[in-house]
Amino acid sequence: MAALLWLQTGSCGGDTMSLLCADSPSLEELVDEYGIEMLWQPSLSLGPAGKLDALVEAVIAGQQDLDILCIEGSIITGPNGSGMYDPYRGRSKMGLVRQLAEKAQYVVAMGTCAAYGGVHAAPPNPTDCLGLQFDKHSPGGLLPAGWRSRKGLPVINLSGCPAHPNAMTKTLAMLALGLAVELDHLNRPKAFFNTTVHQGCTRNEYHEYDVEDAEFGGKACMFFNLGCQGPVTMAVCNTELWNGRSSKTRAGVPCFGCTSPDFPLDHDLFRTEKIGPIPLHLPLGVERANYMAYKSLAHEAAPERVLNKTMDP
Amino acid sequence: MARRTIQIDLNRVEGDLDFQLELEGNTVVDARCIGSLYRGFEQILVTRKPKDSLVITPRICGICGTAQLNAAVLALEQIGRIPVPPTAIRIRNLCLMAETVQSDLRQSFLFFTADFCHPKYSQRGFYETARAAFLPFKGSVHRGALEHSRHIVEIIALFGGQWPHSSYMLPGGVTAPANSRHIIDSLSILNKLTRWFEQDVIGTGLDNWLALETADDFFSWLAAKDAHSDSAIGLFSLIGRDIGLHRLGFGTPHMLSYGAYDDPDDAETPPPQRKHLFRAGFLDGDTGELKPFEQAEITEHVRYSWFQPYAGGRHPFQGQTIPDYQPHSDRYTWCKAPRYQNKVVQCGPLADALIDGEPLIRSLYQLEGGNAWLRQFARLRRTARLLQTMRTTLHQLAAHPDGPHMVSPVEKEIPDGEGFGLVTAARGALGHWVQITDGAISRYQVITPTAWNASPKDSEGRRGHWESSLIGLTVDDPDDPVEIGHIIRSHDPCLVCTVHLLDTGKRLTVWP
Repeated sequence: MAALLWLQTGSCGGDTMSLLCADSPSLEELVDEYGIEMLWQPSLSLGPAGKLDALVEAVIAGQQDLDILCIEGSIITGPNGSGMYDPYRGRSKMGLVRQLAEKAQYVVAMGTCAAYGGVHAAPPNPTDCLGLQFDKHSPGGLLPAGWRSRKGLPVINLSGCPAHPNAMTKTLAMLALGLAVELDHLNRPKAFFNTTVHQGCTRNEYHEYDVEDAEFGGKACMFFNLGCQGPVTMAVCNTELWNGRSSKTRAGVPCFGCTSPDFPLDHDLFRTEKIGPIPLHLPLGVERANYMAYKSLAHEAAPERVLNKTMDP
Repeated sequence: MARRTIQIDLNRVEGDLDFQLELEGNTVVDARCIGSLYRGFEQILVTRKPKDSLVITPRICGICGTAQLNAAVLALEQIGRIPVPPTAIRIRNLCLMAETVQSDLRQSFLFFTADFCHPKYSQRGFYETARAAFLPFKGSVHRGALEHSRHIVEIIALFGGQWPHSSYMLPGGVTAPANSRHIIDSLSILNKLTRWFEQDVIGTGLDNWLALETADDFFSWLAAKDAHSDSAIGLFSLIGRDIGLHRLGFGTPHMLSYGAYDDPDDAETPPPQRKHLFRAGFLDGDTGELKPFEQAEITEHVRYSWFQPYAGGRHPFQGQTIPDYQPHSDRYTWCKAPRYQNKVVQCGPLADALIDGEPLIRSLYQLEGGNAWLRQFARLRRTARLLQTMRTTLHQLAAHPDGPHMVSPVEKEIPDGEGFGLVTAARGALGHWVQITDGAISRYQVITPTAWNASPKDSEGRRGHWESSLIGLTVDDPDDPVEIGHIIRSHDPCLVCTVHLLDTGKRLTVWP
């Protein structure tokens, strides 16, 4: 059995709602088949729950094993470093998380808020939020950059706003099975963060031939004009579909880069920043001069069906 | 009589809630509802580009982000005087309804009915039946609700890309059309959910169920067949009434509804004059009179809230949200106290159904008043109505295959000005009030349904709805007041509550 405790800090509950949408594996499957014991989950407590207090005390006293600690929400440190914008029984959640983290075999940040600070840390960061082990891009959050859990891993960052349902349940299944979880430079599991959102986007043929939309509601690519960050964002949105059905970019909504530490960007989220006609941020690793040459060639080669935007995404 | 204070913590989606209750003997004599989490959304939005609200505000709430998105886009459309084509209204409505069905099923069967499995009831005749149906992860209805609430939001993913947290409603429409593949996929999802709902939740066909129009109809129906009394709604009603929930938890008699789902046949009329599929209004609980709703009559008080004080109440366009945390004062919450015509009001599915004129809910209300059982019952009654309305909406979409989903061309920038967006979220009246100056958001005020219901006292010292619904309640065991859990959960405080009790340092737990 792997004992799991899920705590919400500065959160909208969206990661819990996303978790309920997971289907491969589903939450009930984690319980039935993967030996996850839900010590506590705010929306779904097994057994005679409502026992968070007693549980927390037992974990801190070392009387209750804690295999997986999941944190959902920004770590709120305000006002004035007290953490009391997000209290738990007269003390700060911030302090409670720090104590529980020391006891956990693994600590998982569920969502961008817990990983990097997220939407609550957007300027002016009214509640002085940060992530568990990052403050936006900077290593070191509530816990210092060198911190390791009892199993020797840093906080596992399942970023996303919300985190992808199946990325959450698959990671939990991997931890419960004792499989190795390899992390990237932002401490995200490579299994879910080694793919751009652009990969698998059904608008890719438009991108390929440099056919870009300038208005919303169309069929073509949104990267050049409409703020889409799909080519610069690592996530499984288009390779493991949302709710088993689709993704934002497929539905004509730009990728807002919600798995990145700087989400939400501090500029117009529906417009691409550009140098001349070319986006300021190019697809990961691309040279500007080469990209411009490739784009003009590509546009020349575009077939009519793509130029005329007759292909459904 | 011995007087003591107990504290009850609630965990929920929109933030954390505590209740502090004063008991004399076994009776609640005072209640303070405490929103303990502050996140500062209204500050984050100021200085941003107007459309950024469509990305930021869905993140206010993980369970009703679609409703937040709709409120945000309606406010921008009002400011920019941007029309919306009927197809876009239908797609928005469909997604809003799917989100509400999701929320109502989860609230009812993941959060509310689990209480019936409390050990307190182990000697009651219903106990084993309740466990077989409602026990978390084990009960048949709990498992069914887990599965089917997951599927219904796939409809939102088909049109908006994902649930939760997408931004597919933009000024002038939605980002993707309703193609025939998506319509048939949605119908299939709806068919599957409807089959489960008929078989397990209501134990009869949707049409038969919706044909029940009076309290007598309902009670006769309940007794008529095992399939009815053994259905989830049958068990919920029999058990809920067995333990007296139809006599508890009334709260304020005044009800508010902003109206639900813009009428696509009235797309030409801009909001707020545009007709709704379910009517807006104010039900004066003192006179029983139903009056038109006027958004100008809304104010918010901060006398007992941790915000920089101002006198009396302010309309959201004059609202300010400047945190001023004073834990050792008589101020006690991060919620403001919204009032309508200076009255304490409640919102949610019960208020919506009464104001719209849903016959069965009206009849039950006339018989027994707005009690905890009826509040929960109204939520499930709504699910049946929405399943029917979603089907109609999908057929209308199929009948207009070439209807535009976005007006074109849309002005790229939203002009300076002010506007509001009012919608009915799963928990009731949700409003966004926005002002734009020099091309950027200069004020953003949100009043959530929970703000109405979880309101603290106002500047005149009048308690909010949840607070007043607990006054006078007698609990069997003050060390384990499960009755309070039933009542609080009937109000749908966003997520299952963790109910604890604190008494001079001794901590006890209320289940679950």
